[in-house]
Amino acid sequence: MVSYFPRVGPTQSIGDVMPDVQLPLVAGGGVTLSGRLRERRGAVVLFWSAGCAHCVRYDGYLNSFEQRHPDIALIAVAARRTETIDQIRLTVAERGLDFPLAYGGDAGTATAWIAPQTPRAYLVDRDRALVYRGAIDNYKYETDPAHAAYLEPALNDFRHGRPLARPDTPSFGCAIESVYYLLPKITR
Amino acid sequence: MTDAADVLRRWSWSALEMGLLGMSAALRTTQDGIGALTGGVSPRLTGPPVERAPDLDRGTSELVNRVSRVAMYAPVDGGGRAAIVSAAMESARNLLAAVSTNPRRVATLPIQLPLSFATLGLQEALRLVYGLQILGGSAPSFIAEIAEVFLDGPVYLQLEYMTQLRRLQAHVRAAPEDGAAWHELGRYCMKCGMYHDAAAALTVAAGFPALRASSLSQRAVANYRAARYADAVRDAVDSLTLEPHQPRAHYWLWLAAGHLGGYPPTVPPALRVEMAAGRGETALRYDSVASEVGLDKTGEGRGIAVFDYDGDGHLDVLVAASGGCSLFHNNGDGTFTDRSVGSGIDTCVSSFAVTVGDYDGDGKPDVFITRQGFLEGASVLYRNNGDGTFTDVTAAAGLSGWMSTFCANWADYDCDGHLDLFVGSNLNGLFGRKVPDRLFRNNGDGTFTDVTAAAGILTPWSTIGAAWGDFDNDGYPDLFLSSAFGRSQLFHNNGDGTFTNVSAEAGIDAPCFGSVAFWCDYDDDGWLDLVQYVWCEHEDMLQSLREGAGPADRALRIFHNNRNGTFTNVSADLGVTECWGSMSGNAADLDNDGYVDLVLGNGGPQVATCGPPLVLQFDGRRFRNVTFTAGLPRFGKSHGATIADLAGDGRLHILLASGGFYPAEPMPLEVYRPRARLGNYLNLRLTGVRSNRDAIGARVRLVAGGRTQHRLVSGGSGFGSLPLEQHFGVGAATSLEAVEIDWPSRARQRIVNPPVNATIGVVEGVEGFTVIRRADDHLG
Repeated sequence: MVSYFPRVGPTQSIGDVMPDVQLPLVAGGGVTLSGRLRERRGAVVLFWSAGCAHCVRYDGYLNSFEQRHPDIALIAVAARRTETIDQIRLTVAERGLDFPLAYGGDAGTATAWIAPQTPRAYLVDRDRALVYRGAIDNYKYETDPAHAAYLEPALNDFRHGRPLARPDTPSFGCAIESVYYLLPKITR
Repeated sequence: MTDAADVLRRWSWSALEMGLLGMSAALRTTQDGIGALTGGVSPRLTGPPVERAPDLDRGTSELVNRVSRVAMYAPVDGGGRAAIVSAAMESARNLLAAVSTNPRRVATLPIQLPLSFATLGLQEALRLVYGLQILGGSAPSFIAEIAEVFLDGPVYLQLEYMTQLRRLQAHVRAAPEDGAAWHELGRYCMKCGMYHDAAAALTVAAGFPALRASSLSQRAVANYRAARYADAVRDAVDSLTLEPHQPRAHYWLWLAAGHLGGYPPTVPPALRVEMAAGRGETALRYDSVASEVGLDKTGEGRGIAVFDYDGDGHLDVLVAASGGCSLFHNNGDGTFTDRSVGSGIDTCVSSFAVTVGDYDGDGKPDVFITRQGFLEGASVLYRNNGDGTFTDVTAAAGLSGWMSTFCANWADYDCDGHLDLFVGSNLNGLFGRKVPDRLFRNNGDGTFTDVTAAAGILTPWSTIGAAWGDFDNDGYPDLFLSSAFGRSQLFHNNGDGTFTNVSAEAGIDAPCFGSVAFWCDYDDDGWLDLVQYVWCEHEDMLQSLREGAGPADRALRIFHNNRNGTFTNVSADLGVTECWGSMSGNAADLDNDGYVDLVLGNGGPQVATCGPPLVLQFDGRRFRNVTFTAGLPRFGKSHGATIADLAGDGRLHILLASGGFYPAEPMPLEVYRPRARLGNYLNLRLTGVRSNRDAIGARVRLVAGGRTQHRLVSGGSGFGSLPLEQHFGVGAATSLEAVEIDWPSRARQRIVNPPVNATIGVVEGVEGFTVIRRADDHLG
């Protein structure tokens, strides 16, 4: 049975070298983080789920990410246990997603990266050293005066070689692993 | 005549309630008898029933829950009947699997199955009767809202909601003439936080005349949440023009107008409602500082605890949330660092209430976290390793369980020096069975024994809040249980390991939608009084906002201890007449004037039911609502509310773990810091030796300025545990006469002339005190 209570994990600090990511892409083929970093300044690894309502809000942001940040790779990892690759493909088609989406349905990558929720973003440099972890923003609409972007300022600081003002920001969203996903489904 | 009618009405309800309880008890006895004969005693669940229903009762509950849920979702696309039959069949198979391994149980199934459905029906009838007693004619709409939330719950918890959303979207594409479906789609998108989509769907729904007013009202909420305040104002005005009697639309109009600097000229004067509540005079002024101090964690906050987990003398913060817990280390300069990752607590998802207690007496505070609250989950005991990490020791400690646990509270009920644990069991969904509450006795070796039955703490009602306090001053902590859909209960501790239910004679069990509760000697007479927060209809809260008073008998309850085993609800006498849908709260002397004030965390599960967190300031005679004068927000959804001197300078911060039931509302932790310290103070930290190390249950008196103030060291009260550190405000006094401590061990200790404006530590049996920290300045 899937562990409901993950153990005390190793600590994770800004500057730590993160594990490589090696996963199949939902669109076919495969992807490695080390491979995508070869010609980029850094990469964002984003833990994501097709069934997460919080992730929906970032569809447009993620679709245009690599266009806006050609020097930063993006790998979104569909990380939730119990979510099948077919379900994800359906979501990709329905929502018109075209960012690089890898399938990490056994939650192994999320566990290795100590990612409990979706969406959660990690920015690493070319050597896979952790530069930033947290949310994309504070889940307010950009038109909201209370909106605060987190990832974009981090990327900007990183690109200019500046110390990040906020290398570690809040996270929120749906749990990647939960015993409730294992219980009999309620609806049809 | 009216009094006679009222007495008759109450008597009728009581008779009905007693009849249902009697029938339920008789049927359960029959069930138990058959169970004993057939060897089918229901197991105590220690983990989730992933494979099949563990017993017949859970099987019938699941069947009814599932069929109800499918019935709620199915009609939209016309596949209702087939879906319901399919769900019923699947649940029936699951149910039969619960008994299929036992031939004797199979043979008695024709008797047991009707009995199981009958006990479920009686339980629901009791809840309904209870709701009707409180709400009367408005009960159906209130219960319908609650039912929707409970039926939605597992769909969101199990991440099936996007599937439902797709179904709704497909249906409106296929049947665009179905206005109700557009309306439902709009509401559904709101629950998912897709406010732009919600507004678009509600725009279509508003084109159907019968749905126009309702859809515009909902669209006002969607636009408000999308920060389109002008649109929200316009929607609310249009809706109210069609249907003027909509308190909720008035509320959202008022909120949206607040973001625009006041009502725009386009709002007709007749629709401009001003809110009377929260304008009391006060010198308190708060600043929102969560972001400034590094506590702006976003994450559907639930419980919150403030405690010094690493023993460095500074109070740290733990926030329970859906996606995992957050542990913030106090840097000692008023700022915090997120130490969640790697702590072991961060991976505790679906967490709910938090209570802190050093159960093994090693000097390192441990943490018990409940899960889910309204639905079943597995609570966790985390042992503090002392190095910033925590280890899950639930199974080893004998505390494993799978139940709908809303609250948990530490107390040394038998005064043996070891902290025991009470775990309360809530409604467990719409048609879930009440699982007995549990009292775990600490064996003193890191393990616990379930002594619930022997102790006699048995109640048919759901438990949503619990509070330990020695109301009769006999030296043993008694237990109050607050129930949302049932009678609140008071258990007197007999001192021999057993308890006696004294609810009726104490006068604390009149129907209300109970929420969190805590003991608090508000009048400093040396006898613990009881504060019980309550839920209410959202309309009651809105009436309170508008008028500064809500319907009679629905305000929070302050039970004055009559010193003879009885209590009198004195809320109205103390000026508390407003009704708030309170989910959390606590008491502390916010303005350091020597009188405890109240903080209420308000809101509700629906996206549209929000409420401001409140401060009720007490001057020794009356409470007054000073919320908005003090600069607190108009809008919130506060679960865990706690109060703590985070900077160690005598200013009590208010911390609110905020967030909603649905994914739409991952609100950040809110922290409000007073701009100024309004009086002198003393903070006191106790260390038990013969008593439990946290001194939970200790009674403390501060003698200063000609007055004596009383405090109880509490082991938790609902979502937000107060810190174990005791805070006394002393106004302008610059010298303190004495602190007197009655330890749980019954030892009494007196500290003469403690310093003012300082945090001191006192060890049981050790003369004098240690100064932990001094504030820099003195008033007065």
